[in-house]
Amino acid sequence: MLSLRVNLGQLWSPKSAAGVVAVIFALMAGPAAAQADFEGIWNPSHPRMMGQPDPSTVRLTPAGQAEFDSFTPDKDPTLRCLMPGIPLGLVDPYPIEIVQQEHQILILYEHFHQVRRVFMDGREAPDHWLPSFIGYSTGEWDGDTLVIRTTHMHPDNYMWTAGFPFSGDENTYVIERWWREGDVLRFTGEVHDPTYYEEPYVVNGVWNYAPDGEIWEYECIPEFGGIE
Amino acid sequence: MKQLTTLGLSASLVLLAGLPVAAHHNGATYFDTSTTIEHSDATVVEYAIVNPHGRLFYTVVDDEGNEQEWSAELASANNLRRRGLGGEIFKPGDQLVSVTGNPSRSGANFMRLERAEFADGTVAAFSGPNRGITPGPGAQQ
Repeated sequence: MLSLRVNLGQLWSPKSAAGVVAVIFALMAGPAAAQADFEGIWNPSHPRMMGQPDPSTVRLTPAGQAEFDSFTPDKDPTLRCLMPGIPLGLVDPYPIEIVQQEHQILILYEHFHQVRRVFMDGREAPDHWLPSFIGYSTGEWDGDTLVIRTTHMHPDNYMWTAGFPFSGDENTYVIERWWREGDVLRFTGEVHDPTYYEEPYVVNGVWNYAPDGEIWEYECIPEFGGIE
Repeated sequence: MKQLTTLGLSASLVLLAGLPVAAHHNGATYFDTSTTIEHSDATVVEYAIVNPHGRLFYTVVDDEGNEQEWSAELASANNLRRRGLGGEIFKPGDQLVSVTGNPSRSGANFMRLERAEFADGTVAAFSGPNRGITPGPGAQQ
């Protein structure tokens, strides 16, 4: 729903013209509410290899190759019970729930109880925002496609647990595009990390609408990470 | 706990069709997915249904009569439960005819579990299209 904080007294005052014009422009701009309905629980139905690209097609920079060659399982955050965040958690084999609000879209992941806030009201990351596993996400509608831009991601994260690294430096960002086809929700994510990759690393995800789906608790015990 | 007398450890090359679609981790990074090992006559110590990965702990006895402790990694607790594998499938002391999986690349007594078979023929499959419990001919109805 459109949110307008208009003082009616001002509207009808001699200085009301500017207020009326503002209301008209706001109405012409349309509501900030969703242009497509993604609400509800969605079960994963990702492509083979969790939607990761064929490793032979990934073009690492020399710095990225050095990181890839030095990867060991103990660097995988999820095996230490740290959330995968973004980009590692872009596709996960667990349900998600999407809640659409006026100013933000919430993506609630069963995996590690991750909460993503995708701000839809035009705000940008504040200067004090620190890098985090979940990052800082803003979104906008391109027709019925939700376009999400994520920045401020943590440098200790990974692209994929086959050893593909993620620098998390100031040049990294992720562009996701989500669209609905009936009871199927698809997305593609382009991870831009020019320090480690010659071209964006692209993942794809597929979710099936699950009106009777459930989001379960995901407790995690690091001793069972399987790092042996 | 019954003392086992044999350790049947055989390695065979198996060309796998690929990794499980629902796996969060790239299993080939941690396990040699080109090879399977099979333990015969194993005794269950614990079946831990936890995240990020479940674990089957068991023992086998080698040819010299020494008991060896092994464990096998499973899917996460949440995914085991969703696949009907989150119940009390294995109890401490259960005897297993065979335990099969991909060995850890680290060389530790650790594998990724593919299947386990009980003496009555019941099979618990943890990978492939027939994941789940298939009661054997000797299983109690």
